[in-house]
Amino acid sequence: MRKLFFCFTAIIILFTGCTREPSDAPLSGRQAVIYPDFTDITIPSNIAPVNFRIQDTADKYITVFESGDTKTVIRGRDVLIPLRKWRAITSRGNIKVTVFEKHENGWIRMNPFPITVAEDIDSYLTYRLIMPSFQTFDRLTINQRNITNFKEKTIYANTMSSRDDGSQCINCHSFRNWSTETMQFHIRQYLGGTILYRNGKLAKLNLKTDSTIAAAVYPSWHPTHEYIAYSTNKTFQNIHTNHTDRMEAFDQESDLILFNMKDNSVSVIENDSTELECHPYWTPDGKTLFYVSAHIGNPTPFQAKGGAATGNASVKYSLYSKSFDPDSRTWGKSKMFFDAAALDSSITWPRVSPDGRWLICCINTHGVFPPYQSETELIMFDLEKGTHRYVDEINSDKSESYHSWSSNGHWLVFSTRREDGVYTRPYLTHLNDDGSITKPFPLPQKDPDFSVNFMYSFNIPEFSKDPIRVSARKLSSFINSTEAESVPYVSKRGK
Amino acid sequence: MTPKEKNNFTGITAKARWILPLTLWVVLSCFSYPFLLKVEERSFFEFDMAWFIEFLDKPSGLLSWLSLFFIQFFHIPWLGALIWILLLTAAAELTRIMFRIPQSCSALAYIPAAILVTYNMSLGYMIYYVNLPGFFLLPTLGYLWVLLTVAVFRKVSNTATVIILSAVWGIAGYYIAGFYGLIGVLTAAVDTAVSQRSRTFRLSALISVIAVTLLSPILFVETTAYYLPSGWTVGLPDYMIRVSLTRIQAPVIAAMLLLVSAPLIQLPKLSFVNKTPSYVQGILLIAIVSLSYTWWYKDPNYMAELKMIHAADNLEWEEAINTFRDISEKSEKDKSWQPTRIMVVLKDLALIKTGQEGDQAFAFDDGCKQQNTICGVSMSMQIGWIMGLHYGIPGLCQRWCYEENMLFGWSNVSYRYNIMTAMVFGNRELTEKYLNKLDHTLFYRKWSREQRALLNDRELLARTAPYDQILPLLCYDDIVTSDLAGLEMFLNRHFNGPSPMESTPLYDRIALLFAMKSKNSTMFWTRFFLYLESNNPKKIDRYYQEAAYLYANNGQKDLLDAFPIDDRVKDTYKSFMQYASKYGKLSLEDARNCFPKHLRETFFYYYYYVNELILF
Repeated sequence: MRKLFFCFTAIIILFTGCTREPSDAPLSGRQAVIYPDFTDITIPSNIAPVNFRIQDTADKYITVFESGDTKTVIRGRDVLIPLRKWRAITSRGNIKVTVFEKHENGWIRMNPFPITVAEDIDSYLTYRLIMPSFQTFDRLTINQRNITNFKEKTIYANTMSSRDDGSQCINCHSFRNWSTETMQFHIRQYLGGTILYRNGKLAKLNLKTDSTIAAAVYPSWHPTHEYIAYSTNKTFQNIHTNHTDRMEAFDQESDLILFNMKDNSVSVIENDSTELECHPYWTPDGKTLFYVSAHIGNPTPFQAKGGAATGNASVKYSLYSKSFDPDSRTWGKSKMFFDAAALDSSITWPRVSPDGRWLICCINTHGVFPPYQSETELIMFDLEKGTHRYVDEINSDKSESYHSWSSNGHWLVFSTRREDGVYTRPYLTHLNDDGSITKPFPLPQKDPDFSVNFMYSFNIPEFSKDPIRVSARKLSSFINSTEAESVPYVSKRGK
Repeated sequence: MTPKEKNNFTGITAKARWILPLTLWVVLSCFSYPFLLKVEERSFFEFDMAWFIEFLDKPSGLLSWLSLFFIQFFHIPWLGALIWILLLTAAAELTRIMFRIPQSCSALAYIPAAILVTYNMSLGYMIYYVNLPGFFLLPTLGYLWVLLTVAVFRKVSNTATVIILSAVWGIAGYYIAGFYGLIGVLTAAVDTAVSQRSRTFRLSALISVIAVTLLSPILFVETTAYYLPSGWTVGLPDYMIRVSLTRIQAPVIAAMLLLVSAPLIQLPKLSFVNKTPSYVQGILLIAIVSLSYTWWYKDPNYMAELKMIHAADNLEWEEAINTFRDISEKSEKDKSWQPTRIMVVLKDLALIKTGQEGDQAFAFDDGCKQQNTICGVSMSMQIGWIMGLHYGIPGLCQRWCYEENMLFGWSNVSYRYNIMTAMVFGNRELTEKYLNKLDHTLFYRKWSREQRALLNDRELLARTAPYDQILPLLCYDDIVTSDLAGLEMFLNRHFNGPSPMESTPLYDRIALLFAMKSKNSTMFWTRFFLYLESNNPKKIDRYYQEAAYLYANNGQKDLLDAFPIDDRVKDTYKSFMQYASKYGKLSLEDARNCFPKHLRETFFYYYYYVNELILF
């Protein structure tokens, strides 16, 4: 019994001794270098643990998370915070993180860094995972991650359909009003069609009509009515021979179309042959459609002759808005909102915040596909004050591209290649009421080295409040067994 | 059976047991090593737990991982071959022991192993389409898994245990070995049914095994997002090609069916088996070996391609040239022989890298022999990254590395070229990302360390091979373009395009060669004078002289005295024109018959007779 008592005491001492912070350690005068960089960030209170690795070389490491009046101590170089402990930490408000490092001369205390805890974020993030490639697309998946923990599941993988008869590309997943009650994504080529999940039912549609140039591409769900605005594009991709940007994608033709789910029909929104219209996005009231358009004249300034593309650098998109009456389905005139072309720039992918005040777009020198251009930055418009600014808090020397708002409008996820110039990663940032934006941070992962080892890019990160309701197997079986239903074309005002 | 006969049986099988593997080892190590190296280059293994765990997601993942572990040793072909042969020998010997194959026909035990060897060695160009990690050793390891399963089930003697074992081993086996796991329990069930006396026991074994065999794949297919054409066949060779898989998978399925049926045959009980004369055993062995070897893929151009690609990967340019020279000389008697385009473009690249193109570029037979295969492999898929990197078009190199990764997953060779491209671009973070992966490998960590040293010193990089000959080629303005999957035509277009504002001597040399290859006299003169200006040669190389002399004679006669032309070049031209006027227009094959070797090795011959080449 006595032996047992001593053993028990020894174990207690061992554990408590190891997890106690060396509080008398002198201050080093600098912050610990950690990866990923979670220093001085603002996080949602319900986000998954911000696991990181201490990059400094030392013999031992202790990290202390202080929030409220409690401390949580984690030992080791890899700071892997158990979910339950992390929940307790974030529930008490802002966090102070102090790293202690043991070197030859004993413990030193690194300068602490704060983590501010703010509003909740939508629990789910859906993205496409794709290896960098040019023309092949044999390993694509659309995945959904529960960002309050580390669980991820595959929504659909293109390998789920027979490869021997052809391969398929999957893209442009999108939800209506952050709810997975309605969802759409496209399948290209083999067994192709637009997959629509609505009212618990799946549909596979062919949105290419005799009167439109191609199938539907970039979607925007109407927030209040049964419409989806799409661009329809004829897109080409070419490689750079001698440039760190790998490739360039450009449209040779593009228009805007409206898919009416009520009567299952397609009509044209914009189809000027001297313009390349793209990237439609509704305002939250559904009464205005933002889109981008490049004036190309006739004939087009660029050609893809003998493989080489010329003139694509002169294609510059500006931002337009167009009023819309959803009840009568009538359109107003298009208005130039921001003449990026006049500034020798190209603006793409408008995204309006849920409160309708902020509009964030990508801006670069030319073209319509910003992820491929390292100079792409995000630009933000204050729709209330009519001002705009480059979002320097976010922008890096690599491309910042696809961005998406959370349902409460306080969080923004955006794609960036800042880590290595090739692999796109989702970063999160917080938008304050005054329009200021906090330091962005990568989506937390269980393994701090995840991003270094992961050989896929994250495309089109989109928030949703709930998990996707249809299983991959059901989707696969539906896609494999269903012919795409043709959708009739109607004029703008109806049949 | 007399003692003498018995000794004969033992003698043959005992000798065969070491002669066959030894012979196979010698053949693989000495003659098929380029193929083994290709297998290794197209695979990847790293000592990393997270990477290992990825494999556990899918049935047969663990066996794939194990297979990749062994395949990495093909980096040293004799060692890899030895490991493979040991596995095959184990498969043959265990088959003999477990199914109690009598000495008098023990050669039969070698049939499955021979089928497995044949399957691998008959792949040829199909290796470029294999879409299964560890495909090379997976069937062999799968075969051993089946034997292990049978051995485990034989230890069980009561009904309850066999039901539990069927469930546990069957499901675990399916996850570990996929198709082979199912074959394992099936073989064990047949074996149990044949060997056990209790009817209840046999029935229980059969029912539970069948249930497991049916349920495991369905369970898997229904609970994951992986696509499996059929859950039952996961782990069987898979190819990204539109040909009947059944035909390709047939040898592996045949080997497995032999195993399933082995318990039924009960060889020891067959009276004629023990009466088999010793020579039958010998004939059987010879037949197995001969049949197997007959089906090996032995196309000499294919082997030469593999050797040249490997040499280029390792910057052994002289080796690449020698390989081309060897096969040219060996094929001298066969007038119908032609090299494949891959051989030609690799030879040209090697000549450029060694500075010999001016004197050697047209000294070899040219041609465009079709690859001997049912599934043509595009040149870009085979050597796109080599050409892209070494011709100073890093975007092209990156393109084909990434396409390859997307289609077949990461490989050693892909990592290396991606690293070199990232180094050329000076992208430190990306280089580090890829170097980190090679740091965890057995055979590339040294190379990785060497590259990392260059990463921090751009000047050293510029002085180190291969970068010393790549960076000078980046003197042109970037363009946005497409190779349209036609590599040679893309290179022609690239080097016959506008001259860079500030070209380098190396760029001018290459551009001149491409101008000559494309037989464009206007482009030739432009490039020729640029070459003279930037390279300032003490003596103009032979083929440049020949081209200049030919084009001058054909129209630019005022240029005949603009630069020195050797008398030898003039004499050869005269001699060539005499032959040409004698024979007139000829096909490449006829011209090869008519012209003497010294005249075939001229730019004149290339200009007039090497026509109608199908470029890729």
